[in-house]
Amino acid sequence: MRKPLLSLAATLVLAAATVSASAADLLATVKARGTLKVAMEGTYPPFNFKDQKTGQLAGYDVDVAHLVAKKLGVKAEFVATEWSAILAGLASNKYDVIVSQVTIQPKRELAFDFTIPYTYSAPMLILRQNDTAQYKSLAELKGKRVGVGQGSIFEQQAKAAGGIDVRSYPAAPENLADLAAGRIDAALNDSLIAAYLLKTTKLPIRPGAKVGQVERVAIALRKGNPEFKAALNKALAEAAADGSLSAIAVQWFGTDVSKAP
Amino acid sequence: MDWVELLREAAPVMLAGAGYTLLYAVAAMVGGLIIGFPTAVLRTVPWKLARLPAAFYVSLFRGTPLLVQLFVIYYGLPSVGIEFTPVTAGILALSLNSGAYLSESLRGAIASIARGQWSASYSLGMGYGQTLRWVILPQALRVAVPSMSNTLISLIKDTSLVSVITMAELMLATKEVIAVTFRPLPLYIAAAAIYWVLSLLFEALQRRAERHLNRAHRGS
Repeated sequence: MRKPLLSLAATLVLAAATVSASAADLLATVKARGTLKVAMEGTYPPFNFKDQKTGQLAGYDVDVAHLVAKKLGVKAEFVATEWSAILAGLASNKYDVIVSQVTIQPKRELAFDFTIPYTYSAPMLILRQNDTAQYKSLAELKGKRVGVGQGSIFEQQAKAAGGIDVRSYPAAPENLADLAAGRIDAALNDSLIAAYLLKTTKLPIRPGAKVGQVERVAIALRKGNPEFKAALNKALAEAAADGSLSAIAVQWFGTDVSKAP
Repeated sequence: MDWVELLREAAPVMLAGAGYTLLYAVAAMVGGLIIGFPTAVLRTVPWKLARLPAAFYVSLFRGTPLLVQLFVIYYGLPSVGIEFTPVTAGILALSLNSGAYLSESLRGAIASIARGQWSASYSLGMGYGQTLRWVILPQALRVAVPSMSNTLISLIKDTSLVSVITMAELMLATKEVIAVTFRPLPLYIAAAAIYWVLSLLFEALQRRAERHLNRAHRGS
């Protein structure tokens, strides 16, 4: 749910790609092919990551993708790609959808279509264990050093708060290592991944307050495919209605994050 | 989890990634040489019309970042109907990029051979092509080896950039392990060690090539 503005190159490509309109609706193509091509990062546990034991992609997003593909009557086929290139890849037709914690944002909605949300989550502060400070909002972090993911919405939020010394990291492991080492005062990340990180790392860190508003996460697809979008929405709505989506959420997070709080 | 255990668990994934890195680097080296040789020759011929496109290509691929080239080739070209698989796009971009640098190394080496050698060959009745093939290139290649090896060794490390077009090379494999273990330090060091070992292999090849090409000059 960190998640960025596109890199310059990606933006240029995007501009070029959105000009050429696709001919037929993607739904027919996907059904004929028998597979739904799903892009994800593959380095963002517990949402999507390579299971070291099986070598296969696993996680909440993977289960959601399988669920949606099954409802469409096709098989999910995964492509692991870095975040910096993931939206450009969608624009240039490398895969059908992105299921990788893509937050619905107004700017992204100009370039892509989104399904109904399948995850709701708010940003959360992560602090050092021996740090007794109790920050309740980003405003209280004025003058402090806060670590965020490069190009993430957390980076934008921290910068927008004003007066915060924002430090950008490639990913959470580097960010948290610096937090533990005392080079930054707090990290800002998604509350769901934060809960997972706190459980799986042995670093001396602790959870802080949830700050900011709840974000909606959905499946991203190219514009101009109304039938495909409707089919995806129907699949997600069915999965929500029959409880299978909630079951996956509870399995990965212990709570049902697929419903709006 | 201590380092030994962590690295033992990560080894299969990272070594597979290293295998791909080696494969991509070697393929791009072959591609780079196939592109670089004719480019260098084209840039030294006495006809302007042949020199211009070669000079344009070298300027374009030396003057833009490899990352941007990868983006244009893989994510950009499909919008004008040219579609590559990640492997093709990656090797193509690396080949075009290294070809530009290799051609410059070779061009410099060709230029380093004294003009008198050309004149001498012409006076023996040899043409441009013959002079280049039999007199100039054998000497130029010897001069060019160290700087060409530089480019080829850089190529091994540049493969780390192709992880942005979903190619499963060493760096992407390392990031995947770090994402689930949260142990960046030992894993990045392990990745660095693997890159170094791969480079050592090519340094050994360079020494062999230098010895081979120096045979004619021994004792002179």
